[in-house]
Amino acid sequence: MGLREYVIRRSIYMFLLIIAVVCFNFFLFRLPTFFFGADPISLMISDNLRQTLTQDLLEQMYANFGLVMNPDIFDWIYMFWRYIVSMFTGNFGVSFLTKQPVMESIVDRLPNTLLLMGTSSMVAILLGIWTGVKVASNPGSKKDIGAVTVALFIYSLPVFWLGMMLLMIFGYMLPVWTQNTFGVAIGFPQFGTISYEVWEVARTSPWGAFMVAGDVLHHLFLPMITLGVGGYGGYFLYMRNNLIDVMTEDYILTARAKGLDENQVLYKHGMKNAMLPMVTIIAMTFGFLINGATLTETVFTWRGLGRFIFESLVALDYPVVQAIFMIIAITAILANFVADLLYGVLDPRIKYG
Amino acid sequence: MSKTHKGWRDSNWYHGLSNFFREYRKHKIGVIGLGILLIFIGMAVFAPYLGTGSPNPLKAVAPSYLAPSWMSVFDPEGVVTNNYLTKADLNTAPPIHINGTSGEFNATYVPESESSIGNYVNLTWQHTAGTKLNYTGIDPSGNLPDYSDFVYFEQAFNWPWNGLPNAVNMSISFGTTRTGDFAEGAHLYNNLMFRLYVWVVTPANEWFKVYETLDATYSTPIRERRIPFSYLDVLDVFQGMVAENGTPTYTNSTVKVYVGMAAYHNFESYGGIHPWENYTGSVTFTVTGIKLTAYGNYYGRLGTTFWGSDAYSQLIYGSRVSLTIGILATALSTILGVIVGLVAGYYGGKVDEVLMRFVDFLLVIPGLPLMMVLAIFLGKSETVIIVVIAVLGWTGTARLIRSQVLAEKNKAYVESARAIGATDTYIMFRHVLPNVTPILFANITLGVVGAILSEAGLSFLGLTDVEVPSWGRMLADAQNGAAFIRGAWWVVVFPGLMITLLSLSFTFVGHTLDQVLNPRLRER
Repeated sequence: MGLREYVIRRSIYMFLLIIAVVCFNFFLFRLPTFFFGADPISLMISDNLRQTLTQDLLEQMYANFGLVMNPDIFDWIYMFWRYIVSMFTGNFGVSFLTKQPVMESIVDRLPNTLLLMGTSSMVAILLGIWTGVKVASNPGSKKDIGAVTVALFIYSLPVFWLGMMLLMIFGYMLPVWTQNTFGVAIGFPQFGTISYEVWEVARTSPWGAFMVAGDVLHHLFLPMITLGVGGYGGYFLYMRNNLIDVMTEDYILTARAKGLDENQVLYKHGMKNAMLPMVTIIAMTFGFLINGATLTETVFTWRGLGRFIFESLVALDYPVVQAIFMIIAITAILANFVADLLYGVLDPRIKYG
Repeated sequence: MSKTHKGWRDSNWYHGLSNFFREYRKHKIGVIGLGILLIFIGMAVFAPYLGTGSPNPLKAVAPSYLAPSWMSVFDPEGVVTNNYLTKADLNTAPPIHINGTSGEFNATYVPESESSIGNYVNLTWQHTAGTKLNYTGIDPSGNLPDYSDFVYFEQAFNWPWNGLPNAVNMSISFGTTRTGDFAEGAHLYNNLMFRLYVWVVTPANEWFKVYETLDATYSTPIRERRIPFSYLDVLDVFQGMVAENGTPTYTNSTVKVYVGMAAYHNFESYGGIHPWENYTGSVTFTVTGIKLTAYGNYYGRLGTTFWGSDAYSQLIYGSRVSLTIGILATALSTILGVIVGLVAGYYGGKVDEVLMRFVDFLLVIPGLPLMMVLAIFLGKSETVIIVVIAVLGWTGTARLIRSQVLAEKNKAYVESARAIGATDTYIMFRHVLPNVTPILFANITLGVVGAILSEAGLSFLGLTDVEVPSWGRMLADAQNGAAFIRGAWWVVVFPGLMITLLSLSFTFVGHTLDQVLNPRLRER
């Protein structure tokens, strides 16, 4: 099977998968309505208020949000049809909670999420590859066992707790300590994505862009380190095991027999080949980037998509959640596809099929 | 021919197991992991004996964010919040003192027995008309009763701290029985003739009256009365024990509480008559206990949470939640994954296609958000959390088992089993499954880590039962209760440390199992 045929087959499959996800989302987020009759409107108005309103007004309220009060099976079919159409025309509707168009709210938070997840993934991947290669040249050594133990420790660490610890030490205790010792509070911001004081000054200053960038980086540092360290363990172990595997291959023996020095064997022959499966993993990581990290974002009150999903879920704000779920699914599917293609391009031994 | 005697040590599984342990022992981190794991299991099993209080995260026992007691060694004026006097102090007979020579006052201690509910002290006054009591007049300081004839019993506690308590809560439980002229209906206002007093006595033997029954009526059933303890009372009692200029005023630090009964000055002369000349009857106060709680800035072994509940007990009981959810969820997801993997791998074709496409589908749905959705929609309970984690955790196991089965199913032993007419189910579970289990063990232990961390995350988001103590919930309380600003690091550090240690032990065990059981890795 050629590349072209493979791409076409995969595309059809991907499309079917997206349809499956979209249908699944519809039923998933309306489960409370199926089971308990709890809909977003019933969360917005109390039972007392509901009794004082006329039937017409209530129906009007439901209609405003594109819902039907006490829907029967035909209403459900109608809503499902309208949902499918709007999903595929990119019309994600209006949030019940903020009354803003869903797309606007998502786009609002997307840069924050991508910034946080992108930088932290980079930290984790680079650190993981670097230390993984360092250690794999001599498996079983003291250094190797130490590094593996640290990686296992990080693997079993609840990442949000690491964030809480960093925030407590560097966001709260450090400024107090420096204030008492040196008279200046030096530390990291305690919450948010940007400080409003800085924003106010930066608006009128000619160097505003730099000030804002610096302030955002200042806010970014702790959550980035948290997620970077949290993700590091997995990448490190994967890289190390891959490289150890590769180092037992025949071509490594050949390279050594040629009299190449160990560094050249390790970096030129070993690492390049061990990177192949790593690339797939990295590509798939990038597919889940817009997931955000709900827990870490909650700890640092980072205004990203992860928190947004959670806040909308609690409020049964399903226009938002179903849109985010669909976007995540699409990016994940695409990233999977790209990873498969990339693997074939990088490794000529692989045949598509 | 003698039959060789075969002991249990010669059995196959014993050999396998002992070989396995010999191999396992070589890995230091595996042994450490197993050790930590056993400690946690012990903690979960013996939680009721290890816990110091109620594990309910919402049950307040003290003000919020009190520091652990052991931190009070760094604070010269630190006071540990504790129940300094409880009903249990009446388990031993208290010293009883009788003042004066009237012979009308008496007290008896009744220990707990089959006929009595709990320990109690009876303070009794038996009056016969005409007996003169030693009337001293109203005490100008208001601390002593109006007669020097009275009876009291003594409770004492030690005050080892060099500081004042922030507040003191005190209560006394007693009931009143009366006969003769003191009983109801005999004389008007007869209730006002006697009183129950509570004094707090400093080490220097200064008496401070903190309670006197002022009610116009008395009840026979035992009731608990609150004893108001003002800031001035606190100063009176405790100030002498705080060092000023290096030395405390008092040399010892035993504070006594006297509970006594005495006649009131109305008994001398009331409404133109002299009750002592006319009344005959008796009064008994049945005191079942006295409680005294002093509040300082320190509490228990690990302080208190935002809600003022005992952090240590929650920490102990949290191991139960994490272990049960971690193990049950993984068991469920492993069973699911093994069945799906076996079926998909063994049958292949259409079945395989459908099942694996379903796995693909689950893999593109974001994991934690989907868990949140299900946990929110299905309700806050442990069962829901277990099911949610299991339902989303089986895909990895299924893929692993499927790939193993694909390699195994074309081997000769499967062929021969099929040739002698074994059913598919039999071959799958009796022949194929045992051959792929070694791979499974490491997968299971690592699955437990995932489940523990997922549970911690979900409870951190407040998606679990609010009354169930768990480590994630403790962290959520700290995060939402401004623990950072209040400097309450103990509610942040310890729960997270417990999660880390528990999952670390599983990780270590899993990593070691992987190295011992997985021959591909052993060659390295």
